[in-house]
Amino acid sequence: MQCEQFEQVLEQQEFEELPKPALAHLETCEACSALFADFGAIHSMASAMAADPIAPPSEHVWISLRNQLEAEGLIRDPQVPVHSVPQTSPVWWSVFQRPAMAGAFLGLVLATAGTLSYLSNSQSTIAQSELTPVQEASSVLSANSVFKEEVLNVSDDSILGVQRQDTAVTDSIRRNLQIVDNFIAVCEKDVREQPDNQMAREYLYGAYQQKAELLATAMNRNMTGGLQ
Amino acid sequence: MNAFGNRNPVRVGALVAILAGLALAATPAFADRMEKHFSVQDKPKVTLRNSTGRIQVKSWSKNEVLVVWTNASGKAIVETEQAGNRVEVDTRMADDGVSSDQDKTDFEITVPVESELNVRTDSGNVTVESVHGDMTFDTVGANLQLTDVNGYVVVKTIDGSLVCNRCSGKLEANSISGNVQMIQPSLDSVRVQTSSGNILFDGSFMSRGIYIMKNFSGTIEVHFSANDSFDVSAHSLKGDVINQASFKPDTHGTPRPASKWGHGFIGTMNDGHAKVELSSFSGTIKILSRD
Repeated sequence: MQCEQFEQVLEQQEFEELPKPALAHLETCEACSALFADFGAIHSMASAMAADPIAPPSEHVWISLRNQLEAEGLIRDPQVPVHSVPQTSPVWWSVFQRPAMAGAFLGLVLATAGTLSYLSNSQSTIAQSELTPVQEASSVLSANSVFKEEVLNVSDDSILGVQRQDTAVTDSIRRNLQIVDNFIAVCEKDVREQPDNQMAREYLYGAYQQKAELLATAMNRNMTGGLQ
Repeated sequence: MNAFGNRNPVRVGALVAILAGLALAATPAFADRMEKHFSVQDKPKVTLRNSTGRIQVKSWSKNEVLVVWTNASGKAIVETEQAGNRVEVDTRMADDGVSSDQDKTDFEITVPVESELNVRTDSGNVTVESVHGDMTFDTVGANLQLTDVNGYVVVKTIDGSLVCNRCSGKLEANSISGNVQMIQPSLDSVRVQTSSGNILFDGSFMSRGIYIMKNFSGTIEVHFSANDSFDVSAHSLKGDVINQASFKPDTHGTPRPASKWGHGFIGTMNDGHAKVELSSFSGTIKILSRD
């Protein structure tokens, strides 16, 4: 099994038991093993958040975001075929295959982080009936993982503009991405261990927000290819 | 005896002329030094977008913006645009695949004292002196030094440092691994956040001022004097809080239960005219006496 096939299996199976060829590939491929571990960590986090009393954003937030993205031409109706994406991929996967779409996702992440943070402070005032199902939050986190893969692995020729040659700047972004990832890992661990620790939760949101802004900076400067 | 001894003056003169010519030929930067003048009314808005290189901004009393730039490689194209009081300066490369050394373009910009600035650069130092107006800075690794500036200053950087000397007005700074220092500030609003960088505030808290400093793992150090008047909330989830001040309980704030996580306190010095919030995830918070 090749990496590409493994990724397709991972998308389709999500967190169900992987077939034997995929498991065999996992044992021999470090990159896919790391990807699988990331998915697992994010899934755990999503589960923890789902079990948490903090409410996910209400339906109208998602509808507004979608309308805004559609109005700006950043996302399209799912029926519109995307030629470069295999038919087996879900629509949201195709969306994140393009840097512009990924850029739109940044706004989504920021809005989500902000909304979650806001809701965590005002949850007592929000009627439960207005809340979206738990899977909404889970889908965002899955998209986050996809976006991470997209940004870190996007090929040079898929980026508009000139590939930057300033290795010092690219190294700086790479180094700081590592710092933020470490913070996220530390915060996630804390939130898992101390679910009622509001301060740890706020730092986790902040770290996610910083990551989104860092990736936005990288994309803004056409440096994503340099992060490979 | 002089250095040239008893040599023929004509031959000495010719030798000096040749040496001078060689010296000029070995200084290519002169060939790439360009400048442009823009006549403006008061309070122009100046925008500079550069990739790498030193940027110096200072002020003068003229109603004119002077932009001087140097690109030793000659590979950079500097485009300027003026529309009324708006002046924009953009650097781009003449060819694809230009190295960062060839990309390097240094700027010296002189603006009226009352000017707005927008600077975006990736690397290289940025210094701004004696400019009064709102400013934004967006950098990746560029260090930023502001001296005697006044206005609403917004800084976004990845790992560049910020040193603010005698700054007044409002400051918002966000960094991931850069340090932020505010020396002798007269700022009435401070919102500084860095992940792994250190934060230093060495100045007076102004009446009605709000000072929020937050990091993840660096040190937050605040200096106070005995006659400062402020409410303080300091909290580090995993680090220490070192306090040299004698705070009394906050009598005019909303009562809040102390967090059961980490270390910290809430208190008031004198009448609590300013509000200071210090928080860190795993860093150390120091509240030290300046006296």
